[in-house]
Amino acid sequence: MNAARSMTALLVAFLLAVGTTLAAETGTALKADDLKAEPFRDAKKVGSLTAGDNVEILKKQGGWFQVKSPKGSGWVHMLSIRRGEARKGSGEIAGVLGLASGRAGTGSVVATTGIRGLSEEELKAAKYNETELKKVESLAATEAEARRFAAEGKLVARKVEYLSAPKATKGER
Amino acid sequence: MVSMIKKALFFSTLLLWCSGATHAADSWQDLRKAIEQKGQKGAGSGQHQPNPGGGLDLGVLRTLTGFSQQEEVAIGRQAAGNILGAAPLVKDDKLQKYVNRVGRWIASQSERSDLDWHFGVIETNDLNAFAAPGGYVFVTKGLYRSLQSESELAGVLAHEVGHVIKKHHLKILQQSRVVDMGSKVLTQKVGENEHIKNLIGNGAEIFARSLDKNAEFEADRIAVIVAARAGYDPFGLPTVLQDIGHVAKDDSRVSLLFKTHPHPDDRLAQLGEAIGDRLDGLKGQTLENRFYRIKP
Repeated sequence: MNAARSMTALLVAFLLAVGTTLAAETGTALKADDLKAEPFRDAKKVGSLTAGDNVEILKKQGGWFQVKSPKGSGWVHMLSIRRGEARKGSGEIAGVLGLASGRAGTGSVVATTGIRGLSEEELKAAKYNETELKKVESLAATEAEARRFAAEGKLVARKVEYLSAPKATKGER
Repeated sequence: MVSMIKKALFFSTLLLWCSGATHAADSWQDLRKAIEQKGQKGAGSGQHQPNPGGGLDLGVLRTLTGFSQQEEVAIGRQAAGNILGAAPLVKDDKLQKYVNRVGRWIASQSERSDLDWHFGVIETNDLNAFAAPGGYVFVTKGLYRSLQSESELAGVLAHEVGHVIKKHHLKILQQSRVVDMGSKVLTQKVGENEHIKNLIGNGAEIFARSLDKNAEFEADRIAVIVAARAGYDPFGLPTVLQDIGHVAKDDSRVSLLFKTHPHPDDRLAQLGEAIGDRLDGLKGQTLENRFYRIKP
């Protein structure tokens, strides 16, 4: 009984420790942006970040991160933040492990042995596989099936216009 | 290294451009005829019949890219079969069916809902996704495993759908076709499959080629919008890009992806600029709970 209880306490302590570690994902502001009281553009401004500021990412919601920084806490657009360390990574997808919004631990890509990657040479040497192609084609979903599936997930289609290219790269189309 | 690749790309593009379209016409007619014959024999799945009147659609398509939809599907089918030769489907029908439902719903929000869309997860630990002309889209198991929600999957598929609807690969093929003309391969009277094979190149090489980086940025912009139209949180793809940005450049699982795409950070920056405040207040479903997880 007591043993069970102390085991539970230990487990809780462990989970708490893990939770803290996971929540402590860091990031850097890519550009100057406002910190908002809530995750939308019209929300009250509660502070501001300048490019290069370090932040701690607490939570994700839609396109927004809730962050803590020496300049204050608030919500900032996710595209203004680069998660984790700079480009030189350690080889792990560190960021995936990070966010406290239910992403805990499940995201690490485990490199299993036995299956090789797709190198350019392997792609070039690839031989047409009709059997697998037929299989793909047999697994297709009809438009109606997809619509039912969307409804089950409460996905509601809506009208949204395409984005145009940012000015600097215009003329590409 | 990157600048070397860029330079090489620039020169090869230049070369393709300079080769001009002088010999293109006859051989091209050959190929088209061959594919049309193939289509009439009923090869391929649900291909669209040739437009008997040569009406506006086909006319417009040809003006834009030189390929009819039927040709496009025949080419895509060959390319898809080739990549499956390199990496077969993950043997999990539930997974494949799930990905097809998400993908089909995404594709239905695009202007090419009429294509017969096919999606698949292929057996490799690489982190990548591929689109072949005509609506064949593949995600690697490595990338799939790194995803956390249906909206992230939707974002990845929507990027590939973007390539298909904008015919980015077809445009590359059209350029290489011009080079092929010089090699007389297409002018020889060979079977229709040979024509398509010659066009695509060795195996699934087409998937190892880089598209113009603006084509990648364009597909990213399309992806967030199409995902939003489908009712998803539009930030699925940006989330995936942020994750991929963390993988070390020398990790072999991303070598092909990083070789053929701009760095995720650059893609995010471009996307951020394009989005601005356009998607503010556009909420959507992330569907973490429904997301199908591959058994370990």
